[in-house]
Amino acid sequence: MSLLALPSARDEAWRWSDLSGLPAIADAKPTGQPRSVDDLWIDTPGPRLLFVDGAYDASRSNPGPVQIGPADANAGRHALGKLAGSTGWTLTLGRDCATEGPVQIVHVATGGANHLAADIRLDEDAQASIVESFVGEGWVNRAASLRLARSARLMVARRFLHESGFQSHADTAEIGQAASLTIASLVAGEADSRLDGHLTITGIEAFAEAGGALLGRKKQRHDAAFVVRHAAAHGQSRQLWRAVADEQAVTSASARVEVTRDAQKTDGEQSLRGLLMARTAAVNLKPELEIFADDVKCGHGATVGELDRNSLFYLASRGIPPVEARAILTHAFVADALARIGEDAVREAFEATANSWLGMIA
Amino acid sequence: MCFDCAQHERIWNGNVMLKIENLHAEVDGKAILKGITLSINPGEIHAIMGPNGAGKSTTAYVLGGRPGYDVTEGSATFDGKDLFEMEPHERAAAGLFLGFQYPVEIPGVSNLQFLRTALNAQRKARGEAELSGGEFIKLARKEADALGLDPEMLKRPVNVGFSGGEKKRNEMVQMGIIAPKLAILDETDSGLDIDALKAVGHGINTIMRRPDRAVLLITHYQRLLDYVKPDFVHVLAAGRIVRTGGPELAHELEREGYGQITDELAA
Ligand SMILES: Nc1ncnc2c1ncn2[C@@H]1O[C@H](COP(=O)(O)OP(=O)(O)O)[C@@H](O)[C@H]1O
Ligand SMILES: [Mg+2]
Repeated sequence: MSLLALPSARDEAWRWSDLSGLPAIADAKPTGQPRSVDDLWIDTPGPRLLFVDGAYDASRSNPGPVQIGPADANAGRHALGKLAGSTGWTLTLGRDCATEGPVQIVHVATGGANHLAADIRLDEDAQASIVESFVGEGWVNRAASLRLARSARLMVARRFLHESGFQSHADTAEIGQAASLTIASLVAGEADSRLDGHLTITGIEAFAEAGGALLGRKKQRHDAAFVVRHAAAHGQSRQLWRAVADEQAVTSASARVEVTRDAQKTDGEQSLRGLLMARTAAVNLKPELEIFADDVKCGHGATVGELDRNSLFYLASRGIPPVEARAILTHAFVADALARIGEDAVREAFEATANSWLGMIA
Repeated sequence: MCFDCAQHERIWNGNVMLKIENLHAEVDGKAILKGITLSINPGEIHAIMGPNGAGKSTTAYVLGGRPGYDVTEGSATFDGKDLFEMEPHERAAAGLFLGFQYPVEIPGVSNLQFLRTALNAQRKARGEAELSGGEFIKLARKEADALGLDPEMLKRPVNVGFSGGEKKRNEMVQMGIIAPKLAILDETDSGLDIDALKAVGHGINTIMRRPDRAVLLITHYQRLLDYVKPDFVHVLAAGRIVRTGGPELAHELEREGYGQITDELAA
C-alpha cells in the first residue's frame, strides 16, 4: 500500500490534521504483545469481538450475528477510508431483527498499522447497537459502511483510547425512510485522531446524529469532520461536538449540513463548542451550511471559551481542590456529547473513561 | 467600659477564631480595603454593615482567597494559622465557609455530586472518613428539609434555574451539610421574601449558633438582624471599619441611614 498519496495540511479538508507521522508509524513492527483489555468490556449482554492488530481472535470472541470476512466499507476515494481495504466484519440484520444487547468490539493494537473494513446493514425495522473501543499502540485505521432501511435504528458509540500512534475512522452512511442513526465518539487517549463521516439521509423523515467529545493535551491533534447530507424531505439531523484542548493540543471539529433541493422541511442543528484549558492550546470549530431547499430550519452555534473563573472559585470555596474542580467543570462541558448514548451502562462506561482522562477522583 | 476596651478584653481572654489586623487589599490595582482590624471569638455573631461599594464583598472574597483580590498589607489568622498562606480549598477544609452574594450557576453538575465531592474532599483533607452515597443523601435531605428547599432540587444542576430565594436557601443547605466553624455570609438576605428570610435566619441560628462556631454576617439592611441577633455590629465605609457597637447600632443605621457616616468621611 502506498502512503505517498496521504493528504497534507495544504488540502482544505485536512488542514487541521497532521498525517506526516503516519509512514513512520506504519513502518514499525507490531510487538504482538497486547495489553489486557479486561477493563474495556462493558457489563451488558450481547456479542463480543476482539481484534488484535486487526486480526480476529476467535478464541476470545462470541460474535453472535457478526461475520468475519470480506466487507465493503463503501469508503469511495476517502484518503484514509480507502486504505481500510475490503476485509473485516459485517453485521446484517434482517427485517424486524435486533441484537441482544450491544455488539461490543474491542480493537487492541501493538504497533505498526492495521486496517479493517466494516459493513453494517439493517433491514426494515431492524435495530442494533454497536460499541467499539480502540486501545494500544500504532496506527489503527477503520472504515465502515452503515446502511439503514426503512425504520431501522442504529446507535454506534466509539471510544478512541490509543496510548500512542494514530487513530482514524471513516463512516459512510445511508439512512432510509424514518430510520435513525446516532454515532457518538469519545476521543480520550494519548494519540492523535482523525474521524470522518459522510451521512446521507435518503428517505423521508429520517434522523441522523453525529457528535462526540474530543479531549486533547500535550501535543495531541484531534480532528473530526462530519457531513450530513439531507437528500429527502422532513429529515432531522444533529451534530454536537465538544472539543477540549490543554497544553499544546489542537482539537478541531467541522460539521457540515447539506440540504438538497428536494429536502424540504429539513431540521438541522449544529452545536460546536470548544474549551481551552491553556493559552498554548488551540480549538478550531467550523460549522457549515449548504442549503438548496427553501423551507428548512437549520441552527448552528460555535463558541470557544475557557473554564469559568467564578465557577472554579465557587467549587474551591466549598473545599474542592483545583485539579478536581477543573475536572468536574470539564466533565460538565463534555457531558452533553456523551448524553446521546442511549444505554445506561454504555454511557456510564464512557463517562468513567472521560473522567479518568480528566483525572477526576471517582 | 467602652466598647473598644470590651473588645480588647475579649481578645485577650478568649482563644480568637478569626483575627484580622490592619488588612489592606486591592482589586485590579485599586486599593479597596484600607486597614481593617477585627477579631471574632467562637460563639460570636458579628455583623458588618455598610453602604454599597464600601468593600463588604471584597472583605469576604479576600478572606475566602478569591484570585484577583490581593492582600497588600496586614494579616489574618484562622484558629491561629495564617489564613493567607492557605489556598481557597484549604481554607474551606480548615472550617471557613463563604456564603455568596451571587451564588454561581454550574450547568451539568448536580447539586448532590457537587456537595458530596466538596464534603468528602474536606473530610479527606482533615483525615476523616468519607461519607458513602447513602449517608450523604440522608444528610442532604435532612438539611434541605430544614431549610425548606425541595429535596428534588438537590438533583438539579447547581443553582441553574433557581430563583433568587432558592439560591440563598441552597447556600444555607450547603452550610448545613458542610457544618463549618466560621461562616462568612455575604448579603445572604438580599432578594429574599419574608418566608425565605425567616428560613435563612432560622438556618443560621440552628446551624451556627453554637459555642464552637461563629458567623460574620455581611448585610446592607437591618432586617435579617431581626432574626439573627448579632453580638457585635461593625460599620464598614470606604474600606475601613468606622464604628463598632452592639445590636442597637443596626437599628440606628436603619433609622438614620448611612448618610451621616459617609458625610463624616467626606468631611
Ligand atoms: N472585580 C472588581 N474590579 C474592580 N473593582 C471592583 C471589583 N470588585 C469590586 N470593586 C470595587 O471595589 C469597591 C468595593 O466593592 P464591594 O466589595 O463589592 O462593595 P460592597 O460589597 O460593600 O457593596 C467598589 O468600589 C467596587 O467598584
Ligand atoms: Mg457586596
